[in-house]
Amino acid sequence: MGGLHGVSTRRAAVTLAAGSGGRAFGIKCKCIVMADAGKASKQNQSKTFQCKNLHDYLKTLPASTLDRLYNHPTTCLAVYRELPEIGRHYVIRILFVEQPVPQAVVASWLSQENSKEHNEVTKVLKELQVWQEAPIPGGLPGWILNPIFKKNCRMALLGGGRANCIQSQLDADSKPRDIPFLDQYATERWECVLHYMVGSQQQEGISADAVRLLLHARLMKRDEEDGSPVITREGFQFLLMDTAQQVWHFILQYLDTVQEHNLDLVECLTFLFQLSFSTLGKDYSTQGMSEAMLKFLQHLREFGLVYQRKRKGGRFYPTRLALNIAAGQTSAPGDIERVGYIVVETNYRVYAYTDSNLQVALVALFCEMMYRFPNLAVGILTRDSVRQALRSGITAEQMINFLRLHAHPRMVANGPPVLPPTVVDQIKLWENERDRFNFSEGVLYSQFLSQQDFQVLRDHAQDQGVLIWQNERQRTMVVTKGGHDDVKRFWKRYNRGND
Amino acid sequence: MVNVVKGVLVECDQAMKQFLLHLDETMALGCRFIIQNLDETHLFISADILTTLQSRIDDLMDQVSFPLVEKDS
Repeated sequence: MGGLHGVSTRRAAVTLAAGSGGRAFGIKCKCIVMADAGKASKQNQSKTFQCKNLHDYLKTLPASTLDRLYNHPTTCLAVYRELPEIGRHYVIRILFVEQPVPQAVVASWLSQENSKEHNEVTKVLKELQVWQEAPIPGGLPGWILNPIFKKNCRMALLGGGRANCIQSQLDADSKPRDIPFLDQYATERWECVLHYMVGSQQQEGISADAVRLLLHARLMKRDEEDGSPVITREGFQFLLMDTAQQVWHFILQYLDTVQEHNLDLVECLTFLFQLSFSTLGKDYSTQGMSEAMLKFLQHLREFGLVYQRKRKGGRFYPTRLALNIAAGQTSAPGDIERVGYIVVETNYRVYAYTDSNLQVALVALFCEMMYRFPNLAVGILTRDSVRQALRSGITAEQMINFLRLHAHPRMVANGPPVLPPTVVDQIKLWENERDRFNFSEGVLYSQFLSQQDFQVLRDHAQDQGVLIWQNERQRTMVVTKGGHDDVKRFWKRYNRGND
Repeated sequence: MVNVVKGVLVECDQAMKQFLLHLDETMALGCRFIIQNLDETHLFISADILTTLQSRIDDLMDQVSFPLVEKDS
Protein backbone atom coordinates (compact mmCIF):
# COMPACT_ATOMS: atom_id res chain seq x y z
CA MET A 1 0.00 0.00 0.00
CA GLY A 2 2.94 2.24 -0.64
CA GLY A 3 0.82 4.13 -3.11
CA LEU A 4 -1.80 5.08 -0.60
CA HIS A 5 0.91 6.37 1.62
CA GLY A 6 1.82 8.75 -1.17
CA VAL A 7 -1.75 9.85 -1.43
CA SER A 8 -1.98 10.71 2.21
CA THR A 9 1.18 12.80 2.10
CA ARG A 10 -0.33 14.71 -0.74
CA ARG A 11 -3.43 15.33 1.31
CA ALA A 12 -1.23 16.83 3.94
CA ALA A 13 0.31 19.06 1.32
CA VAL A 14 -3.11 20.23 0.21
CA THR A 15 -4.13 21.08 3.73
CA LEU A 16 -0.94 23.05 4.15
CA ALA A 17 -1.59 24.89 0.94
CA ALA A 18 -5.05 25.81 2.04
CA GLY A 19 -3.67 26.79 5.41
CA SER A 20 -5.19 26.04 8.78
CA GLY A 21 -8.96 25.98 8.95
CA GLY A 22 -9.10 29.65 9.79
CA ARG A 23 -6.84 30.71 6.98
CA ALA A 24 -8.66 28.61 4.43
CA PHE A 25 -11.80 30.24 5.57
CA GLY A 26 -10.31 33.68 5.16
CA ILE A 27 -9.51 32.90 1.56
CA LYS A 28 -13.04 31.78 0.96
CA CYS A 29 -14.62 34.92 2.42
CA LYS A 30 -12.64 36.93 0.00
CA CYS A 31 -13.90 34.81 -2.83
CA ILE A 32 -17.46 35.41 -1.84
CA VAL A 33 -17.16 39.12 -1.19
CA MET A 34 -15.51 39.54 -4.52
CA ALA A 35 -17.86 37.16 -6.25
CA ASP A 36 -19.06 39.97 -8.44
CA ALA A 37 -15.65 40.78 -9.73
CA GLY A 38 -14.84 37.08 -9.58
CA LYS A 39 -17.46 36.21 -12.15
CA ALA A 40 -15.81 38.41 -14.70
CA SER A 41 -12.32 37.36 -13.78
CA LYS A 42 -13.06 33.66 -13.63
CA GLN A 43 -12.53 33.33 -17.32
CA ASN A 44 -9.52 35.59 -17.18
CA GLN A 45 -8.02 33.54 -14.41
CA SER A 46 -7.70 30.50 -16.57
CA LYS A 47 -6.56 32.71 -19.40
CA THR A 48 -3.78 34.37 -17.48
CA PHE A 49 -2.36 31.00 -16.74
CA GLN A 50 -2.38 29.79 -20.29
CA CYS A 51 1.18 29.62 -21.44
CA LYS A 52 2.37 31.76 -24.28
CA ASN A 53 3.23 30.29 -27.62
CA LEU A 54 6.57 30.88 -29.29
CA HIS A 55 5.44 34.03 -31.03
CA ASP A 56 4.11 35.60 -27.82
CA TYR A 57 7.32 34.78 -26.06
CA LEU A 58 9.66 36.14 -28.73
CA LYS A 59 7.61 39.33 -28.86
CA THR A 60 8.62 40.07 -25.29
CA LEU A 61 12.32 39.98 -26.13
CA PRO A 62 14.15 43.18 -27.03
CA ALA A 63 15.03 43.77 -30.69
CA SER A 64 18.75 43.32 -30.10
CA THR A 65 18.20 39.89 -28.57
CA LEU A 66 16.05 38.90 -31.52
CA ASP A 67 18.77 39.98 -33.92
CA ARG A 68 21.30 37.87 -32.08
CA LEU A 69 18.89 34.94 -32.19
CA TYR A 70 18.46 35.31 -35.92
CA ASN A 71 22.19 34.82 -36.30
CA HIS A 72 21.50 31.10 -36.24
CA PRO A 73 19.81 29.39 -39.17
CA THR A 74 17.93 26.95 -36.93
CA THR A 75 16.25 29.76 -35.03
CA CYS A 76 15.19 31.39 -38.27
CA LEU A 77 13.74 28.12 -39.45
CA ALA A 78 11.87 27.61 -36.18
CA VAL A 79 10.44 31.12 -36.33
CA TYR A 80 9.61 30.75 -40.01
CA ARG A 81 7.84 27.47 -39.33
CA GLU A 82 5.64 29.05 -36.67
CA LEU A 83 4.59 32.01 -38.82
CA PRO A 84 1.01 32.13 -40.06
CA GLU A 85 0.70 30.60 -43.52
CA ILE A 86 0.31 33.91 -45.30
CA GLY A 87 3.36 35.19 -43.46
CA ARG A 88 5.41 32.28 -44.76
CA HIS A 89 4.33 33.12 -48.31
CA TYR A 90 5.35 36.74 -47.90
CA VAL A 91 8.75 35.81 -46.53
CA ILE A 92 9.45 33.34 -49.31
CA ARG A 93 8.38 35.80 -51.99
CA ILE A 94 10.76 38.51 -50.90
CA LEU A 95 13.53 36.31 -49.53
CA PHE A 96 15.69 36.88 -52.58
CA VAL A 97 14.69 40.46 -53.27
CA GLU A 98 17.58 42.70 -52.36
CA GLN A 99 15.65 45.97 -52.18
CA PRO A 100 12.55 47.15 -50.28
CA VAL A 101 9.24 46.03 -51.75
CA PRO A 102 6.45 48.65 -51.78
CA GLN A 103 3.85 47.98 -49.11
CA ALA A 104 1.09 48.43 -51.67
CA VAL A 105 2.56 45.60 -53.74
CA VAL A 106 2.65 43.28 -50.75
CA ALA A 107 -0.94 44.20 -49.93
CA SER A 108 -2.01 43.39 -53.48
CA TRP A 109 -0.93 39.77 -53.05
CA LEU A 110 -4.07 39.22 -51.03
CA SER A 111 -7.56 40.09 -52.22
CA GLN A 112 -9.45 42.97 -50.63
CA GLU A 113 -11.75 40.74 -48.54
CA ASN A 114 -8.73 39.35 -46.72
CA SER A 115 -7.26 42.68 -45.71
CA LYS A 116 -7.83 41.76 -42.07
CA GLU A 117 -5.55 38.75 -42.35
CA HIS A 118 -3.05 40.85 -44.24
CA ASN A 119 -2.91 43.44 -41.46
CA GLU A 120 -2.50 40.75 -38.86
CA VAL A 121 0.36 39.14 -40.69
CA THR A 122 2.20 42.40 -41.31
CA LYS A 123 1.90 43.12 -37.61
CA VAL A 124 3.27 39.71 -36.65
CA LEU A 125 6.21 40.01 -39.05
CA LYS A 126 7.00 43.44 -37.71
CA GLU A 127 6.75 42.39 -34.07
CA LEU A 128 9.12 39.52 -34.66
CA GLN A 129 11.54 41.83 -36.46
CA VAL A 130 11.34 39.60 -39.49
CA TRP A 131 10.87 42.62 -41.70
CA GLN A 132 11.24 46.33 -41.23
CA GLU A 133 9.71 49.38 -42.80
CA ALA A 134 11.97 51.03 -45.34
CA PRO A 135 11.22 53.75 -47.87
CA ILE A 136 11.77 52.87 -51.50
CA PRO A 137 13.29 55.44 -53.87
CA GLY A 138 10.41 57.77 -54.65
CA GLY A 139 9.25 57.97 -51.05
CA LEU A 140 6.67 55.17 -50.95
CA PRO A 141 6.73 53.03 -47.81
CA GLY A 142 8.13 49.57 -48.36
CA TRP A 143 9.07 46.42 -46.48
CA ILE A 144 12.50 44.89 -46.37
CA LEU A 145 13.46 41.68 -44.63
CA ASN A 146 15.67 41.98 -41.59
CA PRO A 147 19.11 41.40 -43.21
CA ILE A 148 20.26 39.02 -40.49
CA PHE A 149 17.06 37.03 -40.71
CA LYS A 150 17.25 37.00 -44.49
CA LYS A 151 20.79 35.70 -44.57
CA ASN A 152 20.23 32.93 -42.06
CA CYS A 153 16.82 31.93 -43.31
CA ARG A 154 18.35 31.41 -46.75
CA MET A 155 21.06 29.37 -45.17
CA ALA A 156 18.52 27.26 -43.31
CA LEU A 157 16.59 26.57 -46.50
CA LEU A 158 19.50 26.16 -48.89
CA GLY A 159 22.21 24.83 -46.65
CA GLY A 160 25.74 26.09 -46.44
CA GLY A 161 27.38 28.18 -43.77
CA ARG A 162 29.09 26.72 -40.79
CA ALA A 163 27.91 23.45 -39.40
CA ASN A 164 25.33 23.05 -36.71
CA CYS A 165 26.82 23.38 -33.28
CA ILE A 166 25.16 20.11 -32.32
CA GLN A 167 27.29 17.52 -34.04
CA SER A 168 26.21 14.03 -34.57
CA GLN A 169 28.40 11.43 -32.97
CA LEU A 170 30.85 9.91 -35.39
CA ASP A 171 31.50 6.53 -33.80
CA ALA A 172 28.49 4.40 -33.00
CA ASP A 173 27.29 4.16 -29.41
CA SER A 174 28.30 0.83 -27.89
CA LYS A 175 24.91 0.64 -26.16
CA PRO A 176 22.54 2.48 -28.46
CA ARG A 177 19.19 3.55 -27.03
CA ASP A 178 16.01 3.09 -29.01
CA ILE A 179 12.97 5.34 -29.18
CA PRO A 180 10.74 3.44 -26.71
CA PHE A 181 13.54 3.62 -24.17
CA LEU A 182 13.93 7.37 -24.66
CA ASP A 183 10.17 7.89 -24.39
CA GLN A 184 10.08 5.95 -21.19
CA TYR A 185 13.05 7.80 -19.82
CA ALA A 186 11.57 11.21 -20.69
CA THR A 187 8.24 10.35 -19.11
CA GLU A 188 9.96 9.11 -16.00
CA ARG A 189 12.10 12.20 -15.57
CA TRP A 190 9.26 14.58 -16.23
CA GLU A 191 6.97 12.76 -13.87
CA CYS A 192 9.63 13.07 -11.23
CA VAL A 193 9.11 16.82 -11.28
CA LEU A 194 5.34 16.41 -11.18
CA HIS A 195 5.70 13.88 -8.37
CA TYR A 196 7.65 16.35 -6.37
CA MET A 197 4.89 18.88 -6.85
CA VAL A 198 2.14 16.59 -5.63
CA GLY A 199 4.33 15.65 -2.71
CA SER A 200 4.45 11.92 -3.14
CA GLN A 201 7.72 10.80 -1.70
CA GLN A 202 8.51 7.41 -3.09
CA GLN A 203 10.46 8.87 -5.98
CA GLU A 204 13.90 10.32 -5.81
CA GLY A 205 13.90 14.03 -5.13
CA ILE A 206 14.71 16.79 -7.58
CA SER A 207 17.66 19.14 -7.46
CA ALA A 208 17.72 22.42 -5.60
CA ASP A 209 17.80 24.24 -8.92
CA ALA A 210 14.59 22.60 -10.00
CA VAL A 211 12.92 23.45 -6.72
CA ARG A 212 14.01 27.05 -7.09
CA LEU A 213 12.56 27.05 -10.55
CA LEU A 214 9.22 25.74 -9.34
CA LEU A 215 9.19 28.48 -6.74
CA HIS A 216 10.12 31.08 -9.31
CA ALA A 217 7.36 29.91 -11.63
CA ARG A 218 4.98 30.29 -8.69
CA LEU A 219 3.93 26.70 -9.17
CA MET A 220 5.04 26.14 -5.61
CA LYS A 221 5.63 28.46 -2.71
CA ARG A 222 7.39 28.31 0.58
CA ASP A 223 5.14 27.34 3.41
CA GLU A 224 4.85 30.14 5.94
CA GLU A 225 5.57 27.89 8.88
CA ASP A 226 8.37 25.51 8.00
CA GLY A 227 9.58 26.94 4.69
CA SER A 228 9.10 23.73 2.77
CA PRO A 229 7.74 24.20 -0.74
CA VAL A 230 4.00 23.61 -1.13
CA ILE A 231 1.99 23.60 -4.29
CA THR A 232 0.05 26.71 -5.27
CA ARG A 233 -3.18 27.39 -7.08
CA GLU A 234 -1.27 27.77 -10.35
CA GLY A 235 0.55 24.55 -9.58
CA PHE A 236 -2.69 22.61 -9.42
CA GLN A 237 -3.75 24.01 -12.76
CA PHE A 238 -0.31 23.19 -14.15
CA LEU A 239 -0.67 19.55 -13.11
CA LEU A 240 -3.84 19.14 -15.10
CA MET A 241 -2.35 20.47 -18.38
CA ASP A 242 -1.00 18.10 -20.99
CA THR A 243 2.71 17.29 -21.08
CA ALA A 244 3.74 19.41 -24.06
CA GLN A 245 2.16 22.48 -22.53
CA GLN A 246 3.73 21.74 -19.19
CA VAL A 247 7.20 21.42 -20.68
CA TRP A 248 6.89 24.61 -22.67
CA HIS A 249 5.56 26.58 -19.72
CA PHE A 250 8.32 25.22 -17.55
CA ILE A 251 11.02 26.04 -20.09
CA LEU A 252 9.74 29.61 -20.44
CA GLN A 253 10.06 30.01 -16.71
CA TYR A 254 13.51 28.47 -16.86
CA LEU A 255 14.63 30.91 -19.55
CA ASP A 256 13.59 33.72 -17.21
CA THR A 257 16.18 32.55 -14.74
CA VAL A 258 19.08 31.62 -17.03
CA GLN A 259 20.98 34.78 -16.22
CA GLU A 260 21.20 33.68 -12.59
CA HIS A 261 23.06 30.59 -13.75
CA ASN A 262 25.43 32.73 -15.80
CA LEU A 263 23.98 31.34 -18.98
CA ASP A 264 23.26 33.38 -22.04
CA LEU A 265 19.60 33.53 -23.05
CA VAL A 266 20.38 33.61 -26.76
CA GLU A 267 22.72 30.64 -26.51
CA CYS A 268 20.16 28.62 -24.58
CA LEU A 269 17.34 29.45 -26.96
CA THR A 270 19.47 28.62 -29.96
CA PHE A 271 20.41 25.31 -28.43
CA LEU A 272 16.76 24.53 -27.72
CA PHE A 273 15.83 25.31 -31.30
CA GLN A 274 18.62 23.10 -32.57
CA LEU A 275 17.41 20.34 -30.30
CA SER A 276 13.91 20.72 -31.66
CA PHE A 277 15.25 19.97 -35.14
CA SER A 278 17.26 16.95 -34.10
CA THR A 279 16.24 13.38 -34.78
CA LEU A 280 14.67 11.17 -32.18
CA GLY A 281 16.66 8.07 -31.42
CA LYS A 282 19.93 9.49 -32.74
CA ASP A 283 22.86 10.37 -30.52
CA TYR A 284 24.70 13.66 -30.71
CA SER A 285 28.11 14.68 -29.54
CA THR A 286 28.81 17.19 -26.82
CA GLN A 287 32.10 17.99 -28.49
CA GLY A 288 32.63 21.67 -29.15
CA MET A 289 29.96 22.73 -26.71
CA SER A 290 30.92 25.51 -24.32
CA GLU A 291 31.10 25.03 -20.57
CA ALA A 292 27.86 27.00 -20.17
CA MET A 293 26.00 24.86 -22.67
CA LEU A 294 27.18 21.70 -20.96
CA LYS A 295 25.65 23.06 -17.78
CA PHE A 296 22.46 23.84 -19.63
CA LEU A 297 22.49 20.31 -20.99
CA GLN A 298 22.64 18.94 -17.45
CA HIS A 299 19.54 20.94 -16.55
CA LEU A 300 17.71 19.64 -19.60
CA ARG A 301 18.84 16.18 -18.66
CA GLU A 302 17.28 16.52 -15.24
CA PHE A 303 13.87 17.30 -16.72
CA GLY A 304 14.13 14.50 -19.26
CA LEU A 305 14.56 16.64 -22.37
CA VAL A 306 17.80 14.87 -23.21
CA TYR A 307 19.17 11.53 -22.19
CA GLN A 308 22.78 10.93 -21.21
CA ARG A 309 24.05 7.66 -19.92
CA LYS A 310 27.08 9.23 -18.34
CA ARG A 311 27.56 12.87 -17.55
CA LYS A 312 30.98 12.89 -19.18
CA GLY A 313 30.07 10.37 -21.85
CA GLY A 314 30.38 12.91 -24.60
CA ARG A 315 27.10 11.99 -26.21
CA PHE A 316 23.43 12.67 -25.63
CA TYR A 317 20.06 11.72 -27.10
CA PRO A 318 17.30 14.28 -27.39
CA THR A 319 13.90 12.97 -26.27
CA ARG A 320 10.43 13.65 -27.54
CA LEU A 321 9.93 16.34 -24.92
CA ALA A 322 12.67 18.41 -26.53
CA LEU A 323 11.59 17.84 -30.08
CA ASN A 324 8.33 19.69 -29.81
CA ILE A 325 9.48 22.45 -27.62
CA ALA A 326 9.30 25.26 -30.14
CA ALA A 327 5.84 24.30 -31.23
CA GLY A 328 4.54 25.11 -27.74
CA GLN A 329 0.82 24.69 -27.43
CA THR A 330 0.20 23.98 -31.06
CA SER A 331 1.91 20.62 -30.98
CA ALA A 332 -0.67 17.91 -30.92
CA PRO A 333 1.12 15.19 -32.86
CA GLY A 334 4.38 13.85 -31.56
CA ASP A 335 3.37 14.24 -27.98
CA ILE A 336 4.05 11.10 -26.05
CA GLU A 337 0.90 9.14 -26.71
CA ARG A 338 -0.90 8.16 -23.60
CA VAL A 339 -3.90 5.95 -23.54
CA GLY A 340 -6.70 7.20 -21.32
CA TYR A 341 -7.00 5.33 -18.08
CA ILE A 342 -9.96 6.76 -16.23
CA VAL A 343 -13.43 5.32 -16.04
CA VAL A 344 -16.13 7.37 -14.35
CA GLU A 345 -19.38 5.72 -13.41
CA THR A 346 -22.73 7.36 -12.72
CA ASN A 347 -22.39 6.37 -9.08
CA TYR A 348 -19.46 8.81 -8.81
CA ARG A 349 -16.89 6.09 -8.66
CA VAL A 350 -13.69 6.78 -10.50
CA TYR A 351 -11.53 3.88 -11.62
CA ALA A 352 -7.99 4.69 -12.67
CA TYR A 353 -6.37 1.83 -14.54
CA THR A 354 -2.80 2.76 -13.88
CA ASP A 355 0.22 1.76 -11.89
CA SER A 356 1.70 5.24 -11.90
CA ASN A 357 1.73 6.89 -8.52
CA LEU A 358 1.59 10.26 -10.21
CA GLN A 359 -1.59 9.51 -12.08
CA VAL A 360 -3.17 8.22 -8.92
CA ALA A 361 -2.04 11.34 -7.09
CA LEU A 362 -3.59 13.51 -9.81
CA VAL A 363 -6.91 11.76 -9.51
CA ALA A 364 -6.62 12.06 -5.76
CA LEU A 365 -6.52 15.84 -6.15
CA PHE A 366 -10.28 15.80 -6.33
CA CYS A 367 -11.34 12.24 -5.52
CA GLU A 368 -11.36 10.36 -2.29
CA MET A 369 -9.23 7.30 -2.91
CA MET A 370 -10.64 4.04 -1.62
CA TYR A 371 -8.63 1.11 -2.90
CA ARG A 372 -5.32 0.63 -4.61
CA PHE A 373 -4.49 -2.45 -6.59
CA PRO A 374 -1.37 -3.12 -8.64
CA ASN A 375 -2.92 -1.83 -11.84
CA LEU A 376 -6.05 -0.10 -10.61
CA ALA A 377 -6.98 2.59 -8.14
CA VAL A 378 -10.55 3.23 -7.12
CA GLY A 379 -11.75 6.54 -5.84
CA ILE A 380 -14.99 8.32 -5.38
CA LEU A 381 -16.05 11.85 -6.15
CA THR A 382 -17.59 13.31 -3.03
CA ARG A 383 -18.77 16.74 -2.12
CA ASP A 384 -15.92 17.02 0.36
CA SER A 385 -13.21 15.95 -2.03
CA VAL A 386 -14.43 18.25 -4.78
CA ARG A 387 -14.81 21.16 -2.38
CA GLN A 388 -11.30 20.62 -1.16
CA ALA A 389 -10.07 20.80 -4.74
CA LEU A 390 -12.12 23.92 -5.36
CA ARG A 391 -10.63 25.49 -2.27
CA SER A 392 -7.12 24.82 -3.53
CA GLY A 393 -7.93 26.67 -6.72
CA ILE A 394 -8.88 23.98 -9.20
CA THR A 395 -12.04 24.88 -11.07
CA ALA A 396 -14.86 22.48 -11.83
CA GLU A 397 -14.13 22.94 -15.51
CA GLN A 398 -10.52 21.81 -15.02
CA MET A 399 -11.57 18.67 -13.16
CA ILE A 400 -14.08 17.77 -15.85
CA ASN A 401 -11.56 18.46 -18.60
CA PHE A 402 -8.99 16.32 -16.89
CA LEU A 403 -11.41 13.41 -16.58
CA ARG A 404 -12.45 13.84 -20.20
CA LEU A 405 -8.87 14.11 -21.47
CA HIS A 406 -7.80 10.93 -19.75
CA ALA A 407 -11.00 8.97 -20.26
CA HIS A 408 -10.50 5.28 -20.90
CA PRO A 409 -10.96 4.22 -24.56
CA ARG A 410 -14.04 2.25 -23.49
CA MET A 411 -15.62 5.45 -22.18
CA VAL A 412 -14.79 7.25 -25.41
CA ALA A 413 -16.24 4.40 -27.45
CA ASN A 414 -19.50 4.53 -25.50
CA GLY A 415 -19.75 8.31 -25.82
CA PRO A 416 -20.57 10.98 -26.54
CA PRO A 417 -20.97 12.18 -23.92
CA VAL A 418 -17.76 10.68 -22.64
CA LEU A 419 -18.50 11.39 -18.99
CA PRO A 420 -21.81 10.67 -17.31
CA PRO A 421 -23.76 13.94 -17.45
CA THR A 422 -24.96 13.54 -13.87
CA VAL A 423 -21.43 13.58 -12.59
CA VAL A 424 -20.43 16.55 -14.73
CA ASP A 425 -23.47 18.50 -13.59
CA GLN A 426 -22.93 17.61 -9.97
CA ILE A 427 -19.33 18.82 -10.02
CA LYS A 428 -20.54 22.11 -11.45
CA LEU A 429 -23.31 22.33 -8.87
CA TRP A 430 -20.79 21.80 -6.10
CA GLU A 431 -18.84 24.67 -7.49
CA ASN A 432 -21.89 26.92 -7.73
CA GLU A 433 -22.89 26.05 -4.21
CA ARG A 434 -19.81 27.84 -2.99
CA ASP A 435 -21.12 31.15 -4.22
CA ARG A 436 -24.77 31.07 -3.40
CA PHE A 437 -24.27 34.34 -1.63
CA ASN A 438 -23.07 37.52 -3.07
CA PHE A 439 -21.85 39.91 -0.42
CA SER A 440 -20.95 43.46 -1.32
CA GLU A 441 -20.15 46.15 1.14
CA GLY A 442 -22.29 49.18 0.68
CA VAL A 443 -24.25 52.03 2.19
CA LEU A 444 -28.03 52.03 2.51
CA TYR A 445 -29.98 55.22 1.83
CA SER A 446 -33.59 55.21 2.98
CA GLN A 447 -36.43 57.39 4.24
CA PHE A 448 -36.27 59.99 1.54
CA LEU A 449 -38.82 62.75 2.09
CA SER A 450 -39.97 62.98 -1.49
CA GLN A 451 -40.02 60.78 -4.52
CA GLN A 452 -38.17 63.46 -6.46
CA ASP A 453 -35.27 63.55 -3.99
CA PHE A 454 -34.94 59.83 -4.30
CA GLN A 455 -34.97 59.86 -8.07
CA VAL A 456 -32.37 62.59 -8.33
CA LEU A 457 -29.98 60.81 -6.02
CA ARG A 458 -30.61 57.44 -7.57
CA ASP A 459 -30.03 58.72 -11.08
CA HIS A 460 -26.82 60.37 -10.00
CA ALA A 461 -25.57 57.16 -8.38
CA GLN A 462 -26.52 55.20 -11.46
CA ASP A 463 -24.64 57.60 -13.71
CA GLN A 464 -21.57 57.19 -11.53
CA GLY A 465 -21.94 53.42 -11.75
CA VAL A 466 -22.01 52.99 -7.97
CA LEU A 467 -25.66 51.98 -7.53
CA ILE A 468 -26.01 48.32 -6.56
CA TRP A 469 -29.65 48.08 -5.52
CA GLN A 470 -32.69 50.33 -5.55
CA ASN A 471 -36.42 50.19 -5.06
CA GLU A 472 -38.52 53.13 -6.09
CA ARG A 473 -41.59 52.23 -4.04
CA GLN A 474 -39.64 51.86 -0.82
CA ARG A 475 -37.48 54.86 -1.73
CA THR A 476 -34.44 52.85 -0.74
CA MET A 477 -31.14 52.43 -2.48
CA VAL A 478 -27.72 50.92 -1.83
CA VAL A 479 -24.52 52.37 -3.24
CA THR A 480 -21.07 50.82 -3.09
CA LYS A 481 -18.76 51.71 -0.26
CA GLY A 482 -16.40 53.49 -2.65
CA GLY A 483 -19.19 55.53 -4.18
CA HIS A 484 -20.59 56.74 -0.88
CA ASP A 485 -18.42 59.83 -0.50
CA ASP A 486 -19.28 61.09 -3.94
CA VAL A 487 -23.01 60.51 -3.50
CA LYS A 488 -22.92 62.19 -0.10
CA ARG A 489 -21.23 65.27 -1.54
CA PHE A 490 -23.72 65.37 -4.37
CA TRP A 491 -26.58 65.15 -1.91
CA LYS A 492 -25.26 68.05 0.15
CA ARG A 493 -24.83 70.21 -2.93
CA TYR A 494 -28.28 69.24 -4.14
CA ASN A 495 -29.86 70.16 -0.80
CA ARG A 496 -28.09 73.51 -0.68
CA GLY A 497 -29.37 74.28 -4.16
CA ASN A 498 -32.90 73.49 -3.06
CA ASP A 499 -32.85 75.60 0.09
CA MET B 1 -33.99 63.90 5.79
CA VAL B 2 -32.27 60.80 4.55
CA ASN B 3 -31.20 57.87 6.67
CA VAL B 4 -27.74 56.53 5.85
CA VAL B 5 -26.46 53.19 7.18
CA LYS B 6 -23.29 51.34 6.35
CA GLY B 7 -23.39 47.59 5.99
CA VAL B 8 -23.31 44.73 3.56
CA LEU B 9 -25.74 44.04 0.74
CA VAL B 10 -26.49 40.33 0.46
CA GLU B 11 -27.78 38.85 -2.74
CA CYS B 12 -28.95 35.26 -2.59
CA ASP B 13 -31.74 32.92 -3.55
CA GLN B 14 -35.00 32.88 -1.62
CA ALA B 15 -34.30 29.77 0.38
CA MET B 16 -31.03 31.15 1.67
CA LYS B 17 -32.75 34.42 2.50
CA GLN B 18 -35.29 32.60 4.65
CA PHE B 19 -32.41 30.92 6.43
CA LEU B 20 -30.85 34.28 7.18
CA LEU B 21 -34.21 35.61 8.44
CA HIS B 22 -34.45 32.55 10.68
CA LEU B 23 -30.95 33.11 12.08
CA ASP B 24 -31.90 36.70 12.74
CA GLU B 25 -35.18 35.96 14.49
CA THR B 26 -33.81 33.23 16.72
CA MET B 27 -30.74 35.35 17.47
CA ALA B 28 -28.65 32.31 16.68
CA LEU B 29 -25.56 34.47 16.30
CA GLY B 30 -26.10 36.24 19.59
CA CYS B 31 -27.73 39.35 18.18
CA ARG B 32 -29.92 40.54 15.37
CA PHE B 33 -28.00 41.48 12.32
CA ILE B 34 -30.45 42.28 9.53
CA ILE B 35 -30.71 45.99 9.08
CA GLN B 36 -33.32 45.96 6.39
CA ASN B 37 -35.21 43.38 4.42
CA LEU B 38 -35.03 44.74 0.90
CA ASP B 39 -36.77 42.29 -1.40
CA GLU B 40 -37.07 38.60 -2.12
CA THR B 41 -33.44 38.12 -2.93
CA HIS B 42 -31.74 41.03 -1.17
CA LEU B 43 -30.99 41.82 2.43
CA PHE B 44 -28.97 44.54 4.07
CA ILE B 45 -27.01 43.30 7.07
CA SER B 46 -24.44 44.67 9.46
CA ALA B 47 -20.86 44.22 8.41
CA ASP B 48 -19.36 42.95 11.72
CA ILE B 49 -21.35 39.75 11.63
CA LEU B 50 -20.13 38.67 8.22
CA THR B 51 -17.42 36.19 9.20
CA THR B 52 -19.54 34.48 11.85
CA LEU B 53 -22.39 34.29 9.42
CA GLN B 54 -20.30 32.69 6.74
CA SER B 55 -19.08 29.92 8.97
CA ARG B 56 -22.68 29.31 10.05
CA ILE B 57 -23.73 29.00 6.43
CA ASP B 58 -20.90 26.59 5.80
CA ASP B 59 -22.07 24.46 8.72
CA LEU B 60 -25.57 24.47 7.36
CA MET B 61 -24.45 23.43 3.91
CA ASP B 62 -22.50 20.59 5.45
CA GLN B 63 -25.58 19.48 7.37
CA VAL B 64 -27.96 19.58 4.47
CA SER B 65 -25.71 17.66 2.11
CA PHE B 66 -25.68 13.95 2.62
CA PRO B 67 -23.10 11.56 1.24
CA LEU B 68 -24.16 10.20 -2.12
CA VAL B 69 -22.60 6.86 -1.44
CA GLU B 70 -22.28 4.69 1.55
CA LYS B 71 -18.68 4.38 2.40
CA ASP B 72 -17.69 0.99 3.58
CA SER B 73 -15.24 1.40 6.34
